[in-house]
Amino acid sequence: MDLALTDDQRAILSAVDTLVRPFEAAPLHDAPLAATSDDLDAQLRLNGFLDVARDPDLGTVTAAVVIERIARLPFATEAAFSAMIGPLLGEVPGPICLIASRRTPQLVRFLAPGTTVVIVGEQEVESFVATQDHLRAETGALYGYPMTSLVALPDERQIHDIAPSIMFIRWRAALAAEAAGLLAAALASTVAHVSEREQFGRQLATFQAVRHRLAEAQVRANGVYWLAMKAAGTLDPGDAALAAWHAQESARACVYDFHQFLGAMGMTLEHPLHMWTYRLKALIGELGGRASNAAAAADALWGLSNS
Amino acid sequence: MQFTWTKDEEAFRERLKAFLADTLPEDWERFSQHGPASPSLTRYAESFCAALAREDLLTPHWDKDIGGQGLGPWFQTILAEEMWIAGEPRGGQYMNVNWIGPTLITYGTEQQQQRYLPPISEGKALWCQGFSEPGSGSDLASLRTRAELDGNEYVVNGQKIWTSYAGLADTCFLLCRTSDDRKRGITILLVPMDTPGITVRQIPSLIGEGDIHEVFFDDMRVPATARLGEEGQAWEIIAYSLRNERLGIPRYSLARAALDRAVSILQHRGDFTREAVRIEAAEAAALTEAARMASYAIVTRRAEGQVIGQESSSARFATVMCERRVAEFIVEHLPEALADDHPYLKMHHQRGIVAGIAAGAAEIQLNIIASDVLELPREPR
Repeated sequence: MDLALTDDQRAILSAVDTLVRPFEAAPLHDAPLAATSDDLDAQLRLNGFLDVARDPDLGTVTAAVVIERIARLPFATEAAFSAMIGPLLGEVPGPICLIASRRTPQLVRFLAPGTTVVIVGEQEVESFVATQDHLRAETGALYGYPMTSLVALPDERQIHDIAPSIMFIRWRAALAAEAAGLLAAALASTVAHVSEREQFGRQLATFQAVRHRLAEAQVRANGVYWLAMKAAGTLDPGDAALAAWHAQESARACVYDFHQFLGAMGMTLEHPLHMWTYRLKALIGELGGRASNAAAAADALWGLSNS
Repeated sequence: MQFTWTKDEEAFRERLKAFLADTLPEDWERFSQHGPASPSLTRYAESFCAALAREDLLTPHWDKDIGGQGLGPWFQTILAEEMWIAGEPRGGQYMNVNWIGPTLITYGTEQQQQRYLPPISEGKALWCQGFSEPGSGSDLASLRTRAELDGNEYVVNGQKIWTSYAGLADTCFLLCRTSDDRKRGITILLVPMDTPGITVRQIPSLIGEGDIHEVFFDDMRVPATARLGEEGQAWEIIAYSLRNERLGIPRYSLARAALDRAVSILQHRGDFTREAVRIEAAEAAALTEAARMASYAIVTRRAEGQVIGQESSSARFATVMCERRVAEFIVEHLPEALADDHPYLKMHHQRGIVAGIAAGAAEIQLNIIASDVLELPREPR
């Protein structure tokens, strides 16, 4: 057991830090609900940061480290599935969107013409490259990701020789790693606000009612980070499901608190907090939500039935 | 990051499990409900710790030059986990081997070391920790028990409370005030508990019989040689002592073991099919594993030789969360566990009440996280 980053992981994290530096500042003009950057997307792909798990020496933990770091940016970028799932699929055009059923319509993160949509069914894994015919833009969606409805499926889909169970493990690990980054960034953003904003002649952060709830958020975010890393490290179905549940539960427990502590600023698009929290809201509903992930964890930990 | 154990670590855990299986009596689970400080468990711990010592398993984490095996923090973690999962058959002696011994080695005089270390490493010593007072719980630095030098003796007057193991302990690691300076006015005395002037009264507790006490000091006299370190050095010494103890007891390990046991009982009687029950069990497991990983992150830093700072409070609070969630699950779905049907689960429940209270209340942990991890501006005093 050793939870320290390896030298390679440290070096990659440092390189990611350097690359994303121009994208650390939230775009305040036009104040979008979901901020994206084609430049950021392109640079991450071009520099191979989404391919780290293809190198067996780096593996899925390094992918999780990269996903967590990128999720801290105010810009939403599809890194998680490309980095964690991409290596299983071979060469497919990114970004990658994951759905768990063929149901239409359904709301999908990052779905756009040219993205690879992977359907992780109960029995098989199939994919297709989306075209305009399959989509309906959801420009008014209240999420921090670009959201699009999938309204139709092509008849021709590529079948992948991958067990759905393997896909779900990585999906859960990726979701947890992304949530860990979002929680950390949202917490940092809230901490900055309450440390500056004064009411009743004191900084908000000096009130214990605020301090203790933020400290609890730190405990949750820390737990999500470590469960995500463990899930990525072991690729064990139980570890992955526990990580996904803890991520969604922590998002549920923290998001409203963060906005609450910003007061009226927490209702505006002028403060960047929503860029992380309204992404967390999208993650809360993924993979069937907390109950489904907890049920999956119970199956993995203790079996499907009574003894 | 490496999420698997090394062969040596695995072998050490297996060795401990085998030792426990061979050594603990058949009715151990029922017996362990007596509580870690009960007379019966304390008596049992003497023979158990002596057996551990014979196998070099009592102080393996101590450095070799002081009688240990020099095994690192991961082995200490594995040892602590396996003992706590088993219901801590070392009783109060876990405290001696974890921090009292190493503290005496660092700060004690040769005479103090010769007197107190052999019984610790042989598994024959029982210490109590004279810290809390009626007016000084979380605010420890406000303590008022007074020690005044009279010739070559200290005369001690005051009262300690909620003192674990005091009823049977041979020695007290006693914090006293020798001057009015809040932190620098506190001094440690190593006090034999049979010294005239000490009165111990047991406080009935939820943890098990004999666990917590009031201790009164009325003109108690000990020689000045009983002082550990210098006058006023207590705060520094305690900080050192607790540096290796910041993680505290690995409660997540017993919490998870109790949860697994509860699930197994529910499965056996056909009650683990309801989705709501399965979901709640998994939620509790997520919290135990989150606490475990948060703790392992701290152990990793210790293993790298770093000084552990205040971030261990985050792991401590995560442990409180999981301890309570597991206890709640058991009360809700196996209420008979708190009667006598499932002694292992009752034992877990008895000890769990302590999690957020002892060794730095949960609110203090949150204060520390807020100030030192999140670096929020401090509250006005």
